[in-house]
Amino acid sequence: MAARLGYTILYVADVEATVSFYEAAFGLPRKFIHESNLYAEMDTGQTTLSFAGEAMAEMNGLAIRANRKNDVAAGFELALIFHDPQEAYLNAVAAGATPVKPPENKPWGQIVGYVRDLNGCLVEIASAMPD
Amino acid sequence: MTLSARYTELSRLADLGEEVEAVWTSVSDRAGSYRVLPDGRCDIILRFDAKQRPIVEMAVVVTGPTTRFYDVPIEPGMGFVGIRLRPGCFETVLGFEPAELTNANLIGPDALAACPDLKSLCLPARDQNELVERLTGFLRRRAADSRLKPAPLSRGVISAIHASGGRLRISDVADMHAISERTVQRVVFKATGLAPKTFAAILRFHRALRLLRDHRLSPASAALEAGFSDQAHMSRVFRRMGGFSPARLPDVTLVSLGD
Repeated sequence: MAARLGYTILYVADVEATVSFYEAAFGLPRKFIHESNLYAEMDTGQTTLSFAGEAMAEMNGLAIRANRKNDVAAGFELALIFHDPQEAYLNAVAAGATPVKPPENKPWGQIVGYVRDLNGCLVEIASAMPD
Repeated sequence: MTLSARYTELSRLADLGEEVEAVWTSVSDRAGSYRVLPDGRCDIILRFDAKQRPIVEMAVVVTGPTTRFYDVPIEPGMGFVGIRLRPGCFETVLGFEPAELTNANLIGPDALAACPDLKSLCLPARDQNELVERLTGFLRRRAADSRLKPAPLSRGVISAIHASGGRLRISDVADMHAISERTVQRVVFKATGLAPKTFAAILRFHRALRLLRDHRLSPASAALEAGFSDQAHMSRVFRRMGGFSPARLPDVTLVSLGD
């Protein structure tokens, strides 16, 4: 029995606003938004990044702590890989991301910075791991 | 308000707007009573004689937010069409706050006195479908004319409490929206007519019911996941809010914001 990571799904207050934000702040294109406005997928290749409305969590019988900009960030992050993390960081902040830590060089050769998205989720802005 | 016997929710009508969570109908085929559970919601209901064609006898009922169950006496052929309002939209549609109606209903003349426009619902109708159309038309018109829309903060707070299944502490809800606990109290009370603690307790009750009925969890597992300290705690809440024990669940209607 082996699993494959298929989806990362964030429950958000406003699916449409989150999709628009991810397009503007990180340049991730949308794949689709369901007409209910309760579910959307971004075009992220093999592992899909999805956004689902908070009402979906409830409809699925789940209980979650909603992501909010003013709350302490939840204990996970999305790591996005950019060719130029410095430029990506400035672009994200200009688009409304909350700055947390500007990109810096790591001893293992990556450049890594952090912002929080419109819902308060942590997003890492990094370069690819050097070969 | 949710009625258990022969209760049908109509599929979502396209242009009902955000104020309406569900449109439902119910016709009783026996004498007895309906058990109404607290659900943190208010309904506008037309009660009518389903044996009449055309329907000429009807009464408007506006149900307030409740904190415990109550039983509605019914007779064979008694019909209901109702609209369940989304939390925060009571004032938008009716022009007064739901807190004025906590643990109370307005029936017939009392409802018309509180909102005279409800009179427009009480004209003779061909059948039940015409009553549904009239009620949804009333909602659309009142919502379009209203300037009392729920604030974005109210939506965010209600959504966060819902998403947590009523498990977030009020202090957490306050912190995550960068507002005071007092503001959470005010926002939830204005939207639902209930204190946030009470609203959250009702949502925990509904989620526990869902975990038992739909997820088929054991009472011990459901109590834990729903946020009760133990199974005995859950049983006490079930008896107080629903008048039944977790071992003998009646046929009930559960609510969620996604309906």
